Amino acid sequence: MTYDLIIIGAGPAGISAGVYAARQKLSILIISKDIGGQVAKKAVDIENYPGFEKISGPDLVELYQKQLKANDLFVTQDEVIGIEKQETGDKKQGNFLVRTISGKIYEAVSLIVTSGAKSKLINVPGEEEFSGKGVSYCSLCDGPIFKGKIVAVVGGGNNGFESALFLSNYVKKIYILEYSDIVKADQENQELVAKESKIEIITNARVARIEGEKFVKSITYEDVKSGSEKTLEVNGVFVEIGYSPATYFLNGLVDLNEKKEIIFDTATLATKTPGLFSAGDCNVSKYKQIVMASGEGAKAALSAYEYIKRTKN
Amino acid sequence: MVTIYSTPTCVYCKSLKEYLSQNGIQFKEIDVSQNEKELEKMVQISGQMGVPVIEIEGNVVIGFDKQKIDELLKI
Repeated sequence: MTYDLIIIGAGPAGISAGVYAARQKLSILIISKDIGGQVAKKAVDIENYPGFEKISGPDLVELYQKQLKANDLFVTQDEVIGIEKQETGDKKQGNFLVRTISGKIYEAVSLIVTSGAKSKLINVPGEEEFSGKGVSYCSLCDGPIFKGKIVAVVGGGNNGFESALFLSNYVKKIYILEYSDIVKADQENQELVAKESKIEIITNARVARIEGEKFVKSITYEDVKSGSEKTLEVNGVFVEIGYSPATYFLNGLVDLNEKKEIIFDTATLATKTPGLFSAGDCNVSKYKQIVMASGEGAKAALSAYEYIKRTKN
Repeated sequence: MVTIYSTPTCVYCKSLKEYLSQNGIQFKEIDVSQNEKELEKMVQISGQMGVPVIEIEGNVVIGFDKQKIDELLKI
């Protein structure tokens, strides 16, 4: 079967695109590894989304799921590994073929990429070896396991601070390691962290390696000012140094900037390939916010609807 | 026998539980943040500390790996 629209990803941008497209009575397939994207991993409550004074990430994901159901939308749990656009040989637009890791191929008239971003790695010795063995990229998921333990959070931005605040409910001691000489977290997060005696912020700290036996036992950083190395005994390392866009499967169908973010037309969210739209954190948009991803998703869905109508007639 | 090792804050654990329920699969859930012995057991059988871990008739799957879970449960 050929769908009108395939949406790749089910974070705020994908959910919003799905809801808007469903209201246009399109046949829609959503392909995603999970539902909620980064919202599902958000360690502290969301307080800047209109209509919600305060809501936790998991609670918002639950509402997303309810809204999908109410609109007869279902998420096919799979991972997209490649996309191609069929050549028609005449002036008509070809359909898109979407390949997934499970070996399936899906066809659609139009595509919206809302694949978001994945956690950046520190790329130091021990990180991969101890991934899942003390090194975690989801404090919300794994934090409660570290009850009474000592942990390090790598990254002094909002994600790092929010992760540390969440972890402070469980662990004995938290070190926040920040590479630069100042932390980038916003004022509110800095004030909350300052009140928490369990959290110690170490700036000018370049992580050098993570060591252990079966599980993590220590993290070593270089003080970039003095050049000396220091080792902290920790049971866990939470990596919160930001996200990189998940755009590797787009095979030249879109233009990417140096950060591999998708370049798009701000009026319509169209990419350089007709019928291919993109929304959310995979885009070049400067501010990565839930409300902005949602807005882009809606815009992309309305643009896709117009394209589908034009192409099918 | 299907056992899920989870934490209360893990969204992926919740999705996994919903998925199994939708498919009529009965399971036992263990909150490893409240039970150190079971946490040790989870670490021992899976060789790692991330949740969710699902044990299906002695086969251990790490994370909500739908393909592997479907295969083992013949969904």
